[in-house]
Order: sequence, then structure tokens, then C-alpha cells
Amino acid sequence: MATTPTDIREEGLVEAALGVSGTPIRQSNLWKDAWRRYIRNRGAVVAGAGFILILLYCLIWPIISPYDPNAVDYSQAKLDPSLEHPFGTDKFGRDLFTRTAVGGRVSILIGFGATLAILLIGVVYGSLSGFVGGRLDNGMMRFLDALYGLPYLPFAIITLAIIGRTDMWTMMIALSIASWFTTARIVRGQVMSLKENDYVRAAKAVGARWYRVLGRHLLPNTLGILIIAIFLELPAVILGEAFLSFIGLGISPPDASWGAMAQEGRGTYRTHPIEIIVPSVAIASLVLCANFIADGLRDALDPRTRES
Amino acid sequence: MALLEVDDLRTHFFTREGTVRAVDGVSFAVEKGKTLGIVGESGCGKSVTALSIMGLIPKPPAKIVSGSVMYEGSDLTKLSERELEDVRGREIAMIFQDPMTSLNPTLTVGTQITETIRRHYDVSQKQANKKAAELLEKVRIPRAAERLLDYPHRFSGGMRQRVMIAIALSCDPKLLIADEPTTALDVTVQASVLDLLDDLRHEYDMSMIIITHDMGVVAEAADDIIVMYAGQVVERASTLDLFDNPEHPYTEALLGALPQIEGANVRDGRLTAIPGRPPDLIDPPAACRFGPRCRYAGSDDCTKHEPQLREIRSGHWVRSAHPASERAGSRKPQEVGS
Repeated sequence: MATTPTDIREEGLVEAALGVSGTPIRQSNLWKDAWRRYIRNRGAVVAGAGFILILLYCLIWPIISPYDPNAVDYSQAKLDPSLEHPFGTDKFGRDLFTRTAVGGRVSILIGFGATLAILLIGVVYGSLSGFVGGRLDNGMMRFLDALYGLPYLPFAIITLAIIGRTDMWTMMIALSIASWFTTARIVRGQVMSLKENDYVRAAKAVGARWYRVLGRHLLPNTLGILIIAIFLELPAVILGEAFLSFIGLGISPPDASWGAMAQEGRGTYRTHPIEIIVPSVAIASLVLCANFIADGLRDALDPRTRES
Repeated sequence: MALLEVDDLRTHFFTREGTVRAVDGVSFAVEKGKTLGIVGESGCGKSVTALSIMGLIPKPPAKIVSGSVMYEGSDLTKLSERELEDVRGREIAMIFQDPMTSLNPTLTVGTQITETIRRHYDVSQKQANKKAAELLEKVRIPRAAERLLDYPHRFSGGMRQRVMIAIALSCDPKLLIADEPTTALDVTVQASVLDLLDDLRHEYDMSMIIITHDMGVVAEAADDIIVMYAGQVVERASTLDLFDNPEHPYTEALLGALPQIEGANVRDGRLTAIPGRPPDLIDPPAACRFGPRCRYAGSDDCTKHEPQLREIRSGHWVRSAHPASERAGSRKPQEVGS
């Protein structure tokens, strides 16, 4: 270029070049990049597909299934897998394929509900602590340190005992009340580092109030980490639910959840093992998928991960 | 009356190592429609001065210990955070050094401009969009209306700084503080951004404070200049007077360190540098702060007592026992270290 390269002229040329070729070089934004990186991770894609399949199965099958998940029919008891009953039947003659879907609904609903509660508490607590900083932050974090000492499941059991009632809602409360600490810490750390950003200072310099700074400039930028946190918390919560139901403190018969089904199958594991295998495998596959998804997302959302 | 009057401003940082006196008794005034340049090397308190005016210093550890910042009759240091928020952007706006990180990457440029407009004015989103497009045009961004929908990563450094200027101007502030507005840009882009700032200042009838370590930038843009050293103002004069007749040994040395490409002062070989380093602001020298690096410092008064800022001639203030005009003939320059 022989012209005097003033800023505008140069930028004008770049613009013109874009206009001629019709399309801009490549629309690259964080989410598209992340999606492309995620797609390349084969394990994460398979896990994602598996996760969606399990969700669809739990959602749709109970509607179209010919069997009532709670109808007792001793003439059909303890059947092995067949075309009519893909997973066989349990000792009460209930179709396990239908019951697993119904139980999955409960397990997954509790899982998502508790995860949502964890995120909500964690984000509010963490962002408050990180945003205000100083003495409040110090106090809130020391309080969190103290809570960290509490073991997760005993705390959930005590909570359930205090509420004195076990259904889906109390399970969500019990499982979220002792597991939001890590999320709060993650959000706090993220907010602390983001608030030193130049664009936060720039926003303040033109008069942005604190809630705008927090809501517009800080929290949206923690979204990537929160999405990962969802898929890390979800399996922990689902396992917690299964455990509580298995030891008889959670969902109780005749209602189904995967944990409760495993508990029922425990009595007949020698003679009719399919009854405990089916819910266990269901739990394991969902947890495995969620973990793989979290792993894939972490790689995909980290801009430092360069595709080779 | 001046638009902004800073009087004996002292901003200290209370750290574990001790109290850092980052800004230590700074006074200056910005007249309506004029540009004031603040120059000095890194760590001399230029930026902290600006942030103190805006009330944006990190508290803690920093605190405005004393002094006042009078803006149109009210003392900004006495305002509550809420009142300050209304001043920022609406009355006084600020642009920062690094345009690459000063825009939020997750919001479109248009959103970031219109949010500022709607923060201070009660207008509809549609009106704000219209104003934003006009602003982008004003800062000479081609195809302004379309580019409102773009995210910051699709803009170059120079264009981002233009967007920052557009945001700063969006609420018609009376004073614009530009903290090293061109430091992060290419030299060619620097010139065009400075031109733009100067044009817009006339158009909007604003006052401006330009903070820089680049003597070339202030020579071009400023009406008056203050030179800062170790948290203090060491010289204050009109731009012409300062460049023609620098009085403080530090200013002389700064100008002497500039490379010349034409004229009588072209040198061969190495550029002259100022020996030594700026003093530690936790425990600055009790006497003249420039003393240890000053080639004229002798065994006289200035090594024992802190010189005061005095008006050596009309409009030209200097903080030194040995300003150039009192030195000539009567004193022989002394070599440092001898």
C-alpha cells in the first residue's frame, strides 16, 4: 500500500475487502468455537447423545407404555427379559422397563432440581462475597470453611430427619443444602478476578451502578463455568439420591426412583439379579455421561484449549 | 471560573509495607474548553490523580487523605458513591489505556453504548440506538449503523478506542479524562485518535485532561501542562512556555531525552537518559524528591528542605531550588556523582 496509511483509510480498505468477498472472514464467537471444540471430542459427543437418549426414554416411555408401573400382578412376577418385558419384571410382576423410566423421571428431576438450587445459592452467596470483598468476603468465606467440614450425606440425612417427610421436594432440599459450597467458591473466585477487568472499570467510569456491573459484566462471564458446574453437580446429586433411597431414607415404595428400585431388588439379588442390575446400570450410565459431558465442556469452553 | 479545581489532593495507599504516598499534594485547575496535559514517568501518580477525581480508586487500600476536587461548585471527594455515579459519564467521562480489554467481550458494541445513554437519559431503546449510530459515525467508524450489532472482537485496537470514545461522549460530558489514550496503539493510529479527540473536544465544547508519558502527545494536544514527579507537581505552565523554557531540571531532562529528527538539536549516538530511579513513595526524601537524580543539587538548601511550588513568572510554576532561569550564569552545572 503506497497511500498514507491513516487509520481510517486502512480500516476502510479492510471493510471494502470484506464487502467484495461477500461474507466476513469467519464469524467466530465464543459459543460457536466452543461448540466446534465439543463436537471434536468423540467421548463427549457419545456421552451427550446417551444423556439425551436417557432423558427422552424417561420422558416418553411412561406415556406410551402399555403397563402401569405400579400395577401388581403376581402371575407375571420375576420374569426374565423378553420382548414383552425388555428388562423383565420384578417380584410384584411390574414391568421393569416402564418402572425404570418412571424412576428415572424422579431421579433426574431431583437431580436437576437440587442442582438448580445449588447453583442459585452458590451464585448468590459467591457473587455477593466476591463482589463486595473486604471484611464481608472474609467472614463469608470463613463461614464456608466451617461448613465444608460437614459431611455431605449425614448432613442430608439429618436435614430429612428434621423436615420429617420424604418426597421429591424435601429430597431436593436435603441434597442441595450441604453441597452448594464448591459452587459458591467457584463463583466467588470468578467474580473476584473478573471485577479487576478493565471493562468493569470502564463501565464504572461512565456511571454504571453496582447491580448493572454485577448483572451485566460479571455474572454473564461466569456462565461458562456455571454450565460445567451443572454437569459436575448433577451426578453427585443423583448418586446422593440413589444412596438415600437405597438405605431407605429417600423415595419410598410404591413410588419409584432408581435408588428405591435398587433397594427393592436387593432382597432378590441371588435369585433374580436383573432387578438390582437395571437401576444400577441406569444410575451408572447417567452419571458417567454427565461426567464426560462436564469434561468435554471444560475443554470446549476454555479458550486456551486450541484445536490442533 | 475553572471547571475543575484540584487543591492539595493527597491519595495514599495503605499497604502492609507502609503508606504509599502515590499522590501527595497535587493542585491544578482545568479551564472550560481547554486541554490540560499531565505528564510524568510510570508510577508518578498521574493515573491515581485521575482515578481520584472520578472516585474510582480502589478503597481499600487507597484513600483520599486530604484535599478537594471542586467541580462546578461541589467537592467530588465529599459526594456519596451514589451521587458520584451520577457524575461519572454524565459530567466527567474517562477513557483508559487499553482498548483491547476495556470493552466487555460478551456484549455487542451497540448494547454497551446504549446502556450508557439509557443510564443517564430517560430515552427509549430506539432513540438510544439512533444516538449510538450517530456517535459511531462521529468517531469515524465506517458503516456505523451495522457495526452496532458487532461484538468487540471484530474491531481493531484503534477502532475499539474509537468505540470507547463514543461511549465516553454518549452523555455529553463537560470533562473528558483520557488516561494514556494512545499508548496501546500503533503510531499511525495514535495520530488519528489524537486528531479525533481534539476535533470532538471542539465540537462538544468539552474540557479535557490528557494523561501520558509521551511528550509528543501533550505537545500536540494540550493547552497547559503539568509535569508530575513522585506524586507531586514539579512544573506547571502553558504548553508553549514549557517546551520553549523548561524550568525544572526534571522537565529539562525529559525534553532532553526526546529523540530529535530535525532542527538544531539533532544528536549523534545515544539518547541522554536521566540517571537513577524515582524514589520509593513509601519513604520519599524529606527534601527535594528529585534531588538524588538532579544534576544541580548541591550542598545547599534543597538537599535539606522540600522546595515549594512557586510562580517563577506569570503562569509558570516550578518546584525547584534551581530553575533554569535563576541558574543561568550564576551556577555552573554540576556533574552527577562528582
